[in-house]
Amino acid sequence: MISLTHYLVLSGVLFALGFYGVLVRRSAILILIAVELMLAAVSINFVAFASYLDAKLFTGVIFAIFVITIAAAEVGLALGIVLRIYRERSTANVDEASTLKW
Amino acid sequence: MPLPAQLDRAIVTGSLTAGAIGLPYILVVSVLGIMGRINGAEVVWWLLAGLILVGAIGSVTSNNVVHAALSLVVAAMGIAGMFVLLASEFLALVQVLVYGGGVAILLLFALMMTNASDDPIVVDGSQKPFGFGVALVMGVVLVSAMVGASWNATITTVVSFRDIGTRLYRDYGVPFEVASLVLLVALIGAIAIARRDTEESDAA
Repeated sequence: MISLTHYLVLSGVLFALGFYGVLVRRSAILILIAVELMLAAVSINFVAFASYLDAKLFTGVIFAIFVITIAAAEVGLALGIVLRIYRERSTANVDEASTLKW
Repeated sequence: MPLPAQLDRAIVTGSLTAGAIGLPYILVVSVLGIMGRINGAEVVWWLLAGLILVGAIGSVTSNNVVHAALSLVVAAMGIAGMFVLLASEFLALVQVLVYGGGVAILLLFALMMTNASDDPIVVDGSQKPFGFGVALVMGVVLVSAMVGASWNATITTVVSFRDIGTRLYRDYGVPFEVASLVLLVALIGAIAIARRDTEESDAA
């Protein structure tokens, strides 16, 4: 019997792994990959709660759909910004692009 | 043309590690399933959880940026499997399409246009030990909080496509339209930011 706790622990571990990636990575694209992991952990959490506790309205599933939509928009926009920074500075490392104005 | 030594060694050590950990794991889960200690759904759950964790660890620790992006795809496919186990097939399909199709291709495009991935680069900052400590503490807090809470709940029904459509368009119509507007704005914004300024380069 798979309990709700199984999914919650999995999503907690996944969120912590994504958090580690965000803190440690230098390249903006690798940080984006880690952010995607964190968002995926959150949607597992939403869907697990919806399936176990909210079978009639399943609001968590609707929320997960929105999370995936916004994640796609975020990746597209962020990669545009990364390309722009790379063209201006010929690096995609966040610790080298530390000023907002130049 | 021979492979660069760095790439070669990374592939060999990665495959050996995956084999040394993954094969016993799959074996133990399968034997437990055959012995009847855990049922079929649990066997699938543990295999998918292993797949997700392998993909996630690979994507945050790999020194090769392309391997990191492909590991994210592995993790996303495992998560799609989890959505199937959670009785929402629609989300599983969306997950495969958006992550396996869209996000992975976008990331690989951006990697291709920004990094020459052949030469070994330093991908982790000097804050690595500190970041590891913070993330470890956060993971321990999250997991202990989630183990501590007790839920007596079971999965009841499969969420059908028809129900999702009704709920999405009837009850969440306005947020749905706003989300489509956000996608449109993000699309236009990405094009506006990333394109070359032709007038500037002409003037220069």
